[in-house]
Amino acid sequence: MTGILVQGVSKSFGETRALTDASLAADMGEVHAIVGENGSGKSTLAKIISGVLAPDGGTVDVLGETPGNPCHARRLGVAPIFQEMMLAEQLSIAENVFAGSDGLLCRTLSAKARNAEAKALLERLSGQAVDPTARVSDLPLHLKQWVVLARAICIQPRVLILDESSAALDLAGTERLHAEIRRLRDGGACILIVTHRIAELVRIADKATVLRDGRTVGTLSKFEITEQNLLKLMSAEKPPAKVQLDPSKTARSSSALVLRCEALQLARETTPFGFELREGEIVGVAGLDGAGHAEFIRTVAGIDLPSSGSVTIFGSHGQSIEIRSIEEAGAAGLSYVSGDRKKEGIFPALSTFENFAMAPYGCHRDRTGLIDAGSLRGSFAREVARLGIKVGPPNDRITSLSGGNQQKVLIARAFAAQPKVIVLNDPARGVDIGTKQELYRQLVAFSQTGGAVIYLSSEIEEFFDFADRVDVFVQTTLHRSLPSRDLSEEALLYAMFGRLADAVSPITVEEMA
Amino acid sequence: MMTDILKRLPAGTSLAMPLGLVALLLLLSAVFSPQLFTIDGIAGAILVSAPLIVAAMAITPIAMAGRGGVDLSIGPLIGFINVTIVAWLQPHGFGTPVMVFAYAMLAACAWYALLATVITIVRVSPIIVMLAGYMVLAGLDLVILPRPSGSAPEWLGDWGFGTEIFSPVLAILLISGFAWGLLRSTALFDNIELLGADERTAYTAGLATDRVRLAAYVVGGLLAAMAAICQTAVIGSGDPTQGNRITLQAITALVLGGTALSGGRGSATGSALGAIAMFLISNLLSSFNFGAMSGFITQAVYGLVLVLTLLATLIRFRSKPVKGASDGRS
Repeated sequence: MTGILVQGVSKSFGETRALTDASLAADMGEVHAIVGENGSGKSTLAKIISGVLAPDGGTVDVLGETPGNPCHARRLGVAPIFQEMMLAEQLSIAENVFAGSDGLLCRTLSAKARNAEAKALLERLSGQAVDPTARVSDLPLHLKQWVVLARAICIQPRVLILDESSAALDLAGTERLHAEIRRLRDGGACILIVTHRIAELVRIADKATVLRDGRTVGTLSKFEITEQNLLKLMSAEKPPAKVQLDPSKTARSSSALVLRCEALQLARETTPFGFELREGEIVGVAGLDGAGHAEFIRTVAGIDLPSSGSVTIFGSHGQSIEIRSIEEAGAAGLSYVSGDRKKEGIFPALSTFENFAMAPYGCHRDRTGLIDAGSLRGSFAREVARLGIKVGPPNDRITSLSGGNQQKVLIARAFAAQPKVIVLNDPARGVDIGTKQELYRQLVAFSQTGGAVIYLSSEIEEFFDFADRVDVFVQTTLHRSLPSRDLSEEALLYAMFGRLADAVSPITVEEMA
Repeated sequence: MMTDILKRLPAGTSLAMPLGLVALLLLLSAVFSPQLFTIDGIAGAILVSAPLIVAAMAITPIAMAGRGGVDLSIGPLIGFINVTIVAWLQPHGFGTPVMVFAYAMLAACAWYALLATVITIVRVSPIIVMLAGYMVLAGLDLVILPRPSGSAPEWLGDWGFGTEIFSPVLAILLISGFAWGLLRSTALFDNIELLGADERTAYTAGLATDRVRLAAYVVGGLLAAMAAICQTAVIGSGDPTQGNRITLQAITALVLGGTALSGGRGSATGSALGAIAMFLISNLLSSFNFGAMSGFITQAVYGLVLVLTLLATLIRFRSKPVKGASDGRS
């Protein structure tokens, strides 16, 4: 019996196309996995199936109906768990577990019965004593995860949707979750799992649908679900990218150190790691959502403080400056470019010129200490010409430019500070291919003059042409450093997905080759 | 001993602060203003404080429903019901108790249903809708009755003598309290809490968020109608501007009572205690001889007490160690 049937679904958020042509068919009594890279549209699909988002096109059929909102989905017996933990932090455990279980006026259970039931359910799931009246905000992360799971499980769902729901659980916890999933499946429920943990879904999934760039690229049956097959489908059928070894890029270890992280811990109870950046080096940073690479980038740039450890920049005369804030980082010669243009990039109400001049104002002063507008304008003209930015009148609002050109203005702003280190946090997100190529060319040119680049990207194929090495983050620590000769899409994916805490067998890059 | 009792209060809705404040003020009143504790004193106190107490209760479910729903329109709404009873109902012979109650409840519920619908459909911030509502109603009140005049229905005016403790006004207070107790025992209360605490969680958990918000506002409307009737009893006539002052006082009482303006946890009992505290403050200050300055000093003290209470709450909650559910307290 078909539980979920999704056909040709598309969904866009503004200009971003999250799903273009997604299809999925899952039967009752089946554990069905949705697999894909970051940004392949997995979570969007899960949200559409649970009625939280409405698709732009295509058909969604869940248990014979199209869920129009979460309330409707719940009546159908659909229990979704999303990546973001949906919790009312200031309410108690029991109130969170039974959220949405009552009618508008009538309680289905008395408060006492609720507390007892929430306690029993959570203790069974989490394997530890639980006080159902405790506030959720006081709970450790894994218990919060169990509260969300308990909310879904307590309604005896016919369709259970789990979006990265084991991320906060340890090995034993994941086992208990699997036991619960099997119990529900054997009871005839349909379970949809979205996960990064390939090792996990190899064990539990009966079927897998693979998404790439918002499109369903294949469905695997139980015996076809292997890491090789999944990765191959996820990483497109294109031939592995050729790694261009630039002869000038060898023997970097001889050039001077510009930045060093020592015993860096990004969060408490994570493994400390070290990181070094030399003159002329371009280092890519990659990881799955929540793997800590974004935190690392922000820590290096001085935006966030590390849990412990230090970030040091070495000046041209060998003096070392410890970075504890973004001001210090800027003074030490580090420029930061954010990929989140709207939130931490542009000033939408200001002009293109003002957006550019925001950072270098301070460096363009005349003898009286006032801003030297002439030299500032000269700098603007130089950078615009160098980066090939298509700007209209400089006094027009920056929002009149295309997204790619806005991003270029921000990069120009970073270059104008004449930094020694440029840290880019996914700057190419939502930018067309031409702009990307141009950006990479600029970064390579920058590195050839002795500048160092740290570059985070969510689109891994971007790394191949120009990175000296790619540092892969897993579980909030530096997991593996891939030198440019080892770079291939599969090797990167393996490093990102491959060895997680509970992987059955560790996979090395050598095995892949 | 005292802390043991305090610990037993429901988690989050800390009534300790407003209770302590009221106890302190009662103590001070016993010393400086003993005439409060005579039959006339108590009867007068109930009468004078009733509109604010019920108004503060009325805006509690609205604040609890979240999105920063601080109801500014409560004062002018009370004024609106007051002037329309005097200017429309009474002259046309509709001044019977049944008609007045029915009209007040209908008008207040319709008003809040309108607000909730605008907030839900237009998706504007409640405070903006309520600010607009304040201005519309405050203006309308003056159009209907340009200056204080007219008289309340006779039966209602009689309530306003304030010579007996067990008066109809006390009955309205008790009924309002009882209604709140009734609400607490329904799922609607949990649903409002959930909606205010985290609207996204409430939505994805399958709650009919629009209907819950509407219901919370209508509950507020029912209580607001009671507040308007008390207010009409107290002033005994129609007054287009008297009600406006209630807005800020009711919000102060709400905050004193421990309801979070950000939504979620809230308690009408707390709001009522906050309103009582405010009455006691003004009563206490009037026993000193400030003369013409009395009103201004009362205002300043309200503000001071509000800040001090919030500070005290902050310190109390800061000092509490974070407890995990894993510490085996089962």
